[in-house]
Amino acid sequence: MATWIPADSPIMVEVSEPMALLGPLLKPEFGKSVTTALGNGNPKLQQFGTVVAALELQLGTDWRTGLSRLAGKGLSFCVDSSGATLLAADGEDEKLLSKLNDIIWQFASSGADQQDHPETTASHDYRGVKMWTIGTNEVHALLGPRLLLGNRASFLNKVLDQRADAGGKTLASSALFNAAREAVGKEAVASIFLNLQTLRETPGLKKALAEDGNPLAALLLADTKAALRNASWLALGVYVNGDKLVLRTYTDGAAPAATKWTSFSTPPGTGAGLLPPLTVPGTIASLSLCRDLHAFYAAKDALFPERTSGLIFFENMMGIFFSGMDLTEGVLSEVRPEVRVVVAKQQYDPDVGTPATQMPAFAAVLRLKDPQRFGETVEEAWQKAIGLANFTRGQQALPGLIIDKANQDGVKYTISYYRPPTDKSSGTIDARYNFRPSLARPGDYVILSSTDALARDLIEAVKQAPSTPAKTSPAANSLMEVEGPALSAILEANREQMVRKNMIDKGDSREKAESDIQVLLAALGHLDHATLTLRREAGRPQAELEIRFQ
Amino acid sequence: MHISRRDFFKETAGATSLLAFGSSIPAFLARSAAAMEGGQTSRETVLVVIQLSGGNDGLNTVVPYQDDAYHRSRPTLRISPDQALKLDSGLGLHPAMPAFRQLYQEGRLGIIQGVGYPRSSRDHDAAMEDWHTGVLRERVPPGARTGWLGRAIDTACDPGKTDLRGVFVGEIKAPFGLQTERVVVPSIKSLEEWLPAGTGWSDSTLPHESGTPTSAGGASLLAAVRNATANARLIQPRLAAANEALQTPKSAAYPPFPLAQNLAMVAQLIRADLGIRIYFVEMGGGGIGGFDTHANQAANHGALLRELAESTSAFVGDLGHDRLLESVLMMTFSEFGRTLTESGRRGTNHGAAAPMFMIGGRVKGGLWGAHPSLTDLEQDAPKFHTDFRRVYATVLERWFNLKSEKILSPGFSPLDGVLA
Amino acid sequence: MKPDPNDPAWAWAPFKPDAARPWDLRLAAHLYRRAAFGGTWPELQRALTEGPQATIDRLARPAPEAADFNRLYDDYENAAAASAGYGSQAWWLRRMIESPQPLQEQVTLFWHNHFGISNVHVKSNASLCRHTHVLRQHGLGVFEALLDAVLAQPAVWICLGAGANGKRSLWDSSVRILMDRYTLGPGRCSDSDVREGARALSGWIVSQGELRFVPGEYDAKSKKILGQEGDLDRKGLVRILAKHPATSQWLAQRLVRWFVSDTAKPSDSLLAPLARQLTGEGNIAKGVEMLLRSNLFFSTEAYRQKVRSPVELALGIIRPLEGRTGTVQLAADLARLGQELYEPPTIQGWAGGLAWLNPLTTLGRAKLAEALLAVSGAYGGKLDPAGVVRRHGGAAKDGGSQFLIDLYLQGDLTPETLGALEAGPSAAGAKGPGSADPRHIAARLASLPEFQLA
Repeated sequence: MATWIPADSPIMVEVSEPMALLGPLLKPEFGKSVTTALGNGNPKLQQFGTVVAALELQLGTDWRTGLSRLAGKGLSFCVDSSGATLLAADGEDEKLLSKLNDIIWQFASSGADQQDHPETTASHDYRGVKMWTIGTNEVHALLGPRLLLGNRASFLNKVLDQRADAGGKTLASSALFNAAREAVGKEAVASIFLNLQTLRETPGLKKALAEDGNPLAALLLADTKAALRNASWLALGVYVNGDKLVLRTYTDGAAPAATKWTSFSTPPGTGAGLLPPLTVPGTIASLSLCRDLHAFYAAKDALFPERTSGLIFFENMMGIFFSGMDLTEGVLSEVRPEVRVVVAKQQYDPDVGTPATQMPAFAAVLRLKDPQRFGETVEEAWQKAIGLANFTRGQQALPGLIIDKANQDGVKYTISYYRPPTDKSSGTIDARYNFRPSLARPGDYVILSSTDALARDLIEAVKQAPSTPAKTSPAANSLMEVEGPALSAILEANREQMVRKNMIDKGDSREKAESDIQVLLAALGHLDHATLTLRREAGRPQAELEIRFQ
Repeated sequence: MHISRRDFFKETAGATSLLAFGSSIPAFLARSAAAMEGGQTSRETVLVVIQLSGGNDGLNTVVPYQDDAYHRSRPTLRISPDQALKLDSGLGLHPAMPAFRQLYQEGRLGIIQGVGYPRSSRDHDAAMEDWHTGVLRERVPPGARTGWLGRAIDTACDPGKTDLRGVFVGEIKAPFGLQTERVVVPSIKSLEEWLPAGTGWSDSTLPHESGTPTSAGGASLLAAVRNATANARLIQPRLAAANEALQTPKSAAYPPFPLAQNLAMVAQLIRADLGIRIYFVEMGGGGIGGFDTHANQAANHGALLRELAESTSAFVGDLGHDRLLESVLMMTFSEFGRTLTESGRRGTNHGAAAPMFMIGGRVKGGLWGAHPSLTDLEQDAPKFHTDFRRVYATVLERWFNLKSEKILSPGFSPLDGVLA
Repeated sequence: MKPDPNDPAWAWAPFKPDAARPWDLRLAAHLYRRAAFGGTWPELQRALTEGPQATIDRLARPAPEAADFNRLYDDYENAAAASAGYGSQAWWLRRMIESPQPLQEQVTLFWHNHFGISNVHVKSNASLCRHTHVLRQHGLGVFEALLDAVLAQPAVWICLGAGANGKRSLWDSSVRILMDRYTLGPGRCSDSDVREGARALSGWIVSQGELRFVPGEYDAKSKKILGQEGDLDRKGLVRILAKHPATSQWLAQRLVRWFVSDTAKPSDSLLAPLARQLTGEGNIAKGVEMLLRSNLFFSTEAYRQKVRSPVELALGIIRPLEGRTGTVQLAADLARLGQELYEPPTIQGWAGGLAWLNPLTTLGRAKLAEALLAVSGAYGGKLDPAGVVRRHGGAAKDGGSQFLIDLYLQGDLTPETLGALEAGPSAAGAKGPGSADPRHIAARLASLPEFQLA
């Protein structure tokens, strides 16, 4: 197909093995759960179902087989420089494709008469190929086992031109496209090519890639945006690996080496890498990063120059907690680059009850360079923070946290908790009972957790987990794992809030909102496990997402 | 001294004799009409207020670099005599502000020293409210409070007319200084969100002020609404042009700071001549504010002052290009200054008196008032000698030709020698 | 009786349609605009068959499902008020659209404006939410009960100056607000009444977000307020103020300003019958009903004599189209146009009238109309004028133009404007001569000067 597409088309999606890709999605269970969720009177789904049933009847096949015969050899989707789109289906059954083409044509011609605004339907020949046009927005052509559907005749014409006159400037001859194709490799069942030289100018993408000075984004994404700003192309390859689906990005863009963007997110030394993410019972998500916080904050003038009130407040607070020590040189320089975060479902104390809004527990696990010297400083800072929070809450007549010490397997750790509600019969439990901030320092690790239970689990976990980075090549600098069932469970627990938010955000009825949320939860229910890795290869960032369905 | 209770509760009492703002047709149209009649056309005066949220450290902004007390009290934060950008009288600017020193040398920058108020608050919310209301929180119930600029707008706008006299340009919630009783003062985050795309609106074939109204009693209200719609149509192309100009790279280059982007929009709106007299922008993000440098002040404060100086300077340059500067006055303020001694976290704590900057085509450049003593302090902060209400009164009377007594309270006389 | 808007007898007599003033689409829509934020086509048609008084019966009587509906929405609003953002205001806007008794929402908004309690000073969504619930609960009941409930709210005391940390009781100036703005009206009480009133309210402080009574702080000596003497406490003060004839007169004036006209300046004698109705049973619902049924309400003194507030503008676009949009964005857009729910500018409320229409907000209102009716975007294309046109038999050829003019404006356009609308190009992207997009037509109608008047 690429030999027919003009070289300046910015977007090209190719699915070389549609059935392999759609395999997991076509499993009956998946379809069933989504349709049950959508069902019960959802008009759009009913419409879609009617169309599919009608097509099945007309084509004399069930939709799965039909899909294979119509598009089993490949699907392509292309957007040209003017925004026109084109879909190409390469089928196994030429006759069936022809029949489908006829059906589309008949439907369009007959339907047109019934509408208030009849669309002009016509067919004509172009470069020896018969083209059908419906109104101004639909045009299709059939070339043997290849069906082309587009939304603008001009684009389809260009494509047919390329086909007829070999030797034109096509995507297949484009250096960028070939570089992308080579990077993606032949094992991909699908690939997406984006020409960033052209796409970069679109306002939406421009804004998304711009330096926005957000410190958290800068910390997490590191050099990704900077690299994309320098890139000419971006490609995404989709691979099937057993029961897993893998998506991997490739680009030719690189952030300038050893700059503000790369210096804090490069694992130090060769053979170094990430510590594996920690898992505890009920883990929803687990993140492992290699971020040199000292280098990051030392470059703050370059990375996030705006002195917002949030940033100033943060520095004021750190100044208080660490008794005037310089944040960059005195505090962050004491922390090793291995940073991990865990989000897990929490079990609530039956004495307290379950709050109306259920929030997961979350914790950060850091590692000190010199725990003997700096450990107690961290302890002091923590207790100051709790104290300040209590003081501020007290000023607003809100209850505060009680600090206590506990012991887990020889590790002494600090917890804090709100006194249980005295009157449990009165309605809902306040959201503050989601929090029991705790600090634990097993070995050279520092665990800052929103609940004591998670702190305990993490004390165990760091004991079991390796303390040297695994050798991953090329060195990854960020890794995130998400557990589908746990994620579904926490969303399920907050279903009513999600429904209500949907109702006022979108103005939907309760039924529609419930149906929408149900679809989301049903789809999410099929996620077993997902892993997102960010790495850097020859200065170029790469993201890899691995999804396992259930 | 406080405003009589009556003043807060009076109904919309109709025109007073101090209608400086009262015109129901857009300014540029009035001027064209006047020009056609051979009358003088001078632009109406415009005020641009820049709020520095958090309590700007005046002592490191306008630095008394020759004062030993200053150097002794600030071991890590002091600006040395070599670093200070020298002005006059042993005072210099923070080294991050060469752009302001340039303005000073051109005679466009006035610095009013020692501004504060009696028994000033050192709490962010309370102090900011004092500066916004201009009336101390004595016996004025919160529900009845308004901002000093809001009162100026309410007083000077004819209740029967629908003029646009003040706007806030920025992302945060509009500061209380603009709170009115009656007139609506819009907040502008971007011009796009105010401009209809045109599918329903752009028809210019609809008659507006012709034709008989549909009901006998309706004549005046419908006519007034038609008038308002006509005014809106007249300013729309100017707003659209301003929006266009903001998207394209401008000849007067603005630095990439948020304050600069806001001032660029203010400049375009001034150029568009919509009749807006008061513009309000903010630095520091509202809330507790980016200027609240209790810790690690050196780098952060420097960055903020650089943003202030370079953004303002670009704005002045932009207006100067079109000779608009003569009719524009900028004023900076913060809710308090900071303490003389360092906090131990290489920062400073909440103080009291601080300087205010006045910038514009008709400002008498230079230092106004003496630098407060650094040995006679109040709770570690310099004492004020000029009540900020006098600065407000200067603006209201000398710049806007309004009687400040009705808007502030009696007894605050304008300062002489600030405006030319 | 000769129609004379200055004659109280005529003004308050129930409206009976005649040849000079027939019961037509214009008056039916006028009633629905003022009492229900706007009427759908079926509602207007039914009103035409039933006649004005029967329609007012329907609008004024509480619908049977209203109690459950309000309970449900109270729950939604309370839950949303626990977090920051426009959540509970969004639920209130949705309630205004969906309520089986929209008159109750109009009246709740009236009281919100009357008491002018603003979250800028209270700083608690939950408190403001509770405040509006109290206004709804008592807003159509007896004024004394409403005033009592309102003065039991910490939010009100904070705005009046009681202070969040319980340092002091109310100032004299706060009591003056209570008398001049909330009850008697301006200039009806003396300084002495104010001072004595402050004494009656002594002992009450706001502490930990709650209103508490500290017996030791209460000044128990006898007080003389507005001619009445005795051991008057908060309840006593409320009773005196609520039952004072000046209060009914002031409330009558406020109701006329809200329901009849922005520009009316009714004389005391004209207001007297309405004031009597409010005093007699002290029942606000009866007063509102009397007002809606009156000749004055249906006269030219009232017809198109109000400038739509931003809320009325938005609902006036949404309700007739039998639709519902996302209201979180709407709350933010209305705030931008000058009417942020929960935040009236001062205790005087929103000034209203022409103050809504400076050049920028006028553009903003056109932009809102455009956004509400756009096929995609912030409001998700939820409103479907084409569907409404089809359902109620509007002619398809002109894109439903005539129908929409009837629905939105009841033909209240000058011949020139009508002609220009019909002749001019409907919009960019029109599919051909004579075809037009109902969305564009509706947006254009909603941005006309005529539509800005309710």
